Amino acid sequence: MELTDAVLVDRVLGGDVDAYALLVARYRDRYARFAVHMLGNREDAEEALQDAFVRAYRALRSCEDRAHFGSWLFRILVNRCRTAGVRRGRRERTLVRDDVAFHAAAVEHPAERSAWREEIRRALDRLDPDGREAFLLKYVEELSYEEMSELTGVGISALKMRVKRSCARLREMLQEVRSA
Amino acid sequence: MHDDDRHDGHDRHNEDDRRDAADTVAGVEEEQVIETIARELRAPIRFDATLDMRVMGQVRAGRPRGAAAAWGWLLRPRTLRVSPLGGLALAAGVAAVALVGGRLAGREREGPVVVVAAPDAPGAAAAGLPVAAAAYEPRGPRTVQFVLVAPAAISVAVVGDFNDWDPAGTPLQRTRANGVWAITLPLAPGRYQYTFVIDGTRWMPDPQAPRALENDFGRPNSVLTVAE
Repeated sequence: MELTDAVLVDRVLGGDVDAYALLVARYRDRYARFAVHMLGNREDAEEALQDAFVRAYRALRSCEDRAHFGSWLFRILVNRCRTAGVRRGRRERTLVRDDVAFHAAAVEHPAERSAWREEIRRALDRLDPDGREAFLLKYVEELSYEEMSELTGVGISALKMRVKRSCARLREMLQEVRSA
Repeated sequence: MHDDDRHDGHDRHNEDDRRDAADTVAGVEEEQVIETIARELRAPIRFDATLDMRVMGQVRAGRPRGAAAAWGWLLRPRTLRVSPLGGLALAAGVAAVALVGGRLAGREREGPVVVVAAPDAPGAAAAGLPVAAAAYEPRGPRTVQFVLVAPAAISVAVVGDFNDWDPAGTPLQRTRANGVWAITLPLAPGRYQYTFVIDGTRWMPDPQAPRALENDFGRPNSVLTVAE
């Protein structure tokens, strides 16, 4: 029988460090998707996820609801992605930032993925980080607005607005691509 | 009602219906596009197990800036020399903490008050607060004093990055001043998140200190930067 999160957290806090490896294995792939889509590449996403796991371990005593370790960890990851996104944003602003240069740079990477998937990735990357986060949480992670609000600390109406704007923007960008 | 009015009302109705229908079509179309995008993005993404190894490597490496190492540094026997200039600096420290003590005495509501990050432990002693003796070294840990006014509290602790958020690890001591709890810790230069725990259950950030922007752990924490 699989051990629950609460049991594993108890074991870790009781000194069984190896029990933490089970939690890492349990949540590694579950949260990889969000980090990759949020940050736009695997390297930054792996770094953010690794950082989230280590920070969660160090602060494990402050996880009050041990049965919901996963949600608590996800909150840490969302924040790590925000921080990494700000860092990446600063880096990118010093490199390329007008749309022509951005497109040219992206086209230079012939992806094995389908062109459609590549266009989605590019459109997602062009959303502002708040909008991208809200869209991913709503449509990809399929959270309710209440869950999103609890996770991000942002009000429900603001989240709805972000999702709505992101949907409109994505549709607009992808229609441009299709009609080009 | 005139015929014209009826016509106007009818036309307006038709126009509204057409607009609603167009909105509905656009809405359905957008939903379809979004669902196609979301389906594509929901495909699982896997990281390999080397990530687990890296995480566990860092976890097993222990605490990067825990209080234990800093206590070791603090408790090492050493000779403390105070130059005339240093004496003046310590006197300034006394004045600063005495001022803080005055503020504490004047406060009525419960609340954490101040964190002093400086080699001014003698000043704290002069103010009647329990302190650890410390010497100043340019790159060594700094003496940081956490003070909380909590007259109704039975126990107070500070938890943070420096003690792995252990509520049992760092209890504050009740001082001679009424309702004032304090502890002095040696902390290596760096940025720390922390909060107070009252009576073992109530977690409370320091309203006098800046809040950590990231709020990683589901509750607001205070942030302290110990300068080199």
